[in-house]
Amino acid sequence: MAILRDSVTQPGANIGKAFNDIACNSRETPRTRVNQLLHSNPNLWRGCDMAGQGFHGVATGYRELDDILPGRGWPRSGLIEVIARHSGMGELQLLIPLMQSVIKQGKWILWVAPPYLLNAPALTQAGIDIDQILIVKQDTACKDALWSMEKAMQTENCGLVLAWQNWLPGKVLRRLQLAAEAGDTLAILFKRNDSKYSPSSLRLQIKPSATGNRDFSRAEVTVIKARGNFRPLSAQFSLYPESLSA
Amino acid sequence: MEDPDNSAQKPAATAGSRKSGVLKLPLANRCGPNKQGRTNDESNKNPAKSRSIRQSLWYALYFPQLSELSESQQTQILTELAGLAENVSATVSFHSQALVCEIRSTLRYFDGIDNINSKLQSLIVPALQNRSLGDSFLYAASPTVSGSLLLARSGHNALVYQKENLRSALGKLSVDVLDLQKEQRRRLHSMGVRKIRDIWRLPTEGLHKRFGSNFVNSLSKAIGKSPEPTRNYIPSPEFSASYDLPNEVENLHYLLPIIDEILIKLRDFLIQRDLSISRLRLSMIHEKRSRTEIDIGLRQATRQGDHLLLLIETHFAQLVVPAPVVGLELEARQFDAFLSESDTLLTEKQVGHVSKINSKNLDQFMEQLHARLGDDALKSINTVAEHCPEYATQQLNYTDKKAEISAAGVATNPRPFWLLYAPIQLTLRGSKLYHREAITLISGPERIETYWWSGQDILRDYYIARDQNGSRLWVFRERRGKRNWFLHGYFS
Repeated sequence: MAILRDSVTQPGANIGKAFNDIACNSRETPRTRVNQLLHSNPNLWRGCDMAGQGFHGVATGYRELDDILPGRGWPRSGLIEVIARHSGMGELQLLIPLMQSVIKQGKWILWVAPPYLLNAPALTQAGIDIDQILIVKQDTACKDALWSMEKAMQTENCGLVLAWQNWLPGKVLRRLQLAAEAGDTLAILFKRNDSKYSPSSLRLQIKPSATGNRDFSRAEVTVIKARGNFRPLSAQFSLYPESLSA
Repeated sequence: MEDPDNSAQKPAATAGSRKSGVLKLPLANRCGPNKQGRTNDESNKNPAKSRSIRQSLWYALYFPQLSELSESQQTQILTELAGLAENVSATVSFHSQALVCEIRSTLRYFDGIDNINSKLQSLIVPALQNRSLGDSFLYAASPTVSGSLLLARSGHNALVYQKENLRSALGKLSVDVLDLQKEQRRRLHSMGVRKIRDIWRLPTEGLHKRFGSNFVNSLSKAIGKSPEPTRNYIPSPEFSASYDLPNEVENLHYLLPIIDEILIKLRDFLIQRDLSISRLRLSMIHEKRSRTEIDIGLRQATRQGDHLLLLIETHFAQLVVPAPVVGLELEARQFDAFLSESDTLLTEKQVGHVSKINSKNLDQFMEQLHARLGDDALKSINTVAEHCPEYATQQLNYTDKKAEISAAGVATNPRPFWLLYAPIQLTLRGSKLYHREAITLISGPERIETYWWSGQDILRDYYIARDQNGSRLWVFRERRGKRNWFLHGYFS
């Protein structure tokens, strides 16, 4: 245990030492032993391996995405930016498992000024109880939309806030991020374009999969930025169930 | 006193004299000075008695015309009249088609029963006339509630000051004034009982057996032998508080500490009366301008000052006042019974049990949202059993939701999350569809035909498509007219 405590303070220097120690004891499976040892301490950050971060996230419902997210899932609270250049990239489908789990907890989901008409049968098909969906009307001014987001996040039992705003300054994003953290809520911001700087805890870009342009269901999700992640990672996976991918 | 015959004879002996127990009350507009003197005389005669046993005097008002009205109308009118009767008495109680007020305590203040009588006449007759219920009522006063009621019902307009005289006064009344069932009335009649006096001559045990204890009790109440609990009129609570500012204020946020203080007063008021508030009005008074008023309606009644303050603050954020504010007034418009909420003792999460939306938090959020964005800001959605995609979703104001019959069955074919508010026509170049980018059909068609009965029939073939950018689209082709293509939704 003493070795591990050291390794938190000076990871680079001591991992090798630990490796050597263990390697001396049993030559057969040194790598697995090291991995085991390192896995046992959640405080240890291993930049190369997201899986080593423990399981403190909320599973996304997509194994490939879990693999590239720190904590193997969505963060518990904070602001998530989902960047999709066009509508219809599967940006909502990506969040369906998250919405299902929020509904299951008995919390409600607020859609702040969605760009189009929300189609209730589609939500029902996706297994979401529409009784727990609330919508702030479409033609709400940006200022009021942000205000409602912040208020909703402060409200207990609000599990998820979805918003569509393209040009928000960093200051506003920071405020939303802090409100989400304080309210212990997740807020999802859908954007068309990526911004250089953003204080949000997770930034995802969703694109149609490069391979097989005619394949309906596959998408490529890139984690541009995530707290606890040091380089962009991307994964390709099928967003829609088989029945939909035709 | 105990001997019925003896006491029955007593008033007969004194009848007609100035000290008589039973008097005719004067008519409202004729109150002679000598009668006032008699009242004083009466109270002077028995100073010891009235001091030792503080007898109350009950003034009954009987409105026979109410019998034609429905129960709820009667209650409504009686409540209104009780409010007027409060002018002469602190205790007003409700009875069937009648009100009874205690007037002994106010006798000295009004200087005699005649004044009380005329005051009541002047208050109640206009109220009755307003409702076109005639312009008269029957009245009587005696030391017991039921006694006064019986005297009033008999139409005697009698005044009985002493309890001892009550028995004889009541004894003269016909048994018809008693509130009896038909069967009981018939039985009394066949027993040869015509006047209440005749009942008193009968043995009590027998009466108990024949007419039940209620009957005997009501009679003994009338002569003051049993206590008479009454249901008293309690005026509806009112709260309004105003505050004059020492100087003119333009920045509304400076008003918040003052409003907070008023809200604390309101909270104390509510706690004392075990109420909570559901509607209130805040008025800001300007010089030379009409006042600015904010109406706040709460979805769930509350007594929390900080919630109300938050709502007012939200209103202030949007509000522009035409002139500086010189005064404030807070008025409670509607009260509600207070319902306390209990929290769970153990805060562990209930696994498996899916609770619906926690309405309290939601209500507070919604009130804030309504205060800022207007009443139609928050929507909820519902599915409708419709083939036509644009009618399969119903968007309603969240407040209307309650009356809704919930969820209809939905289509089994894939539906997109987004529907366009109106379908956009696609361009067809050669054999390629375009909407900014080229569109490739992936699957379909799904044929939807409906509304053929309305003349506006919908004949469409829906396809799932994908454009060059990778957007998943829901497009359809009209099956009539020019057979145009339209974009209708996005599979997001």
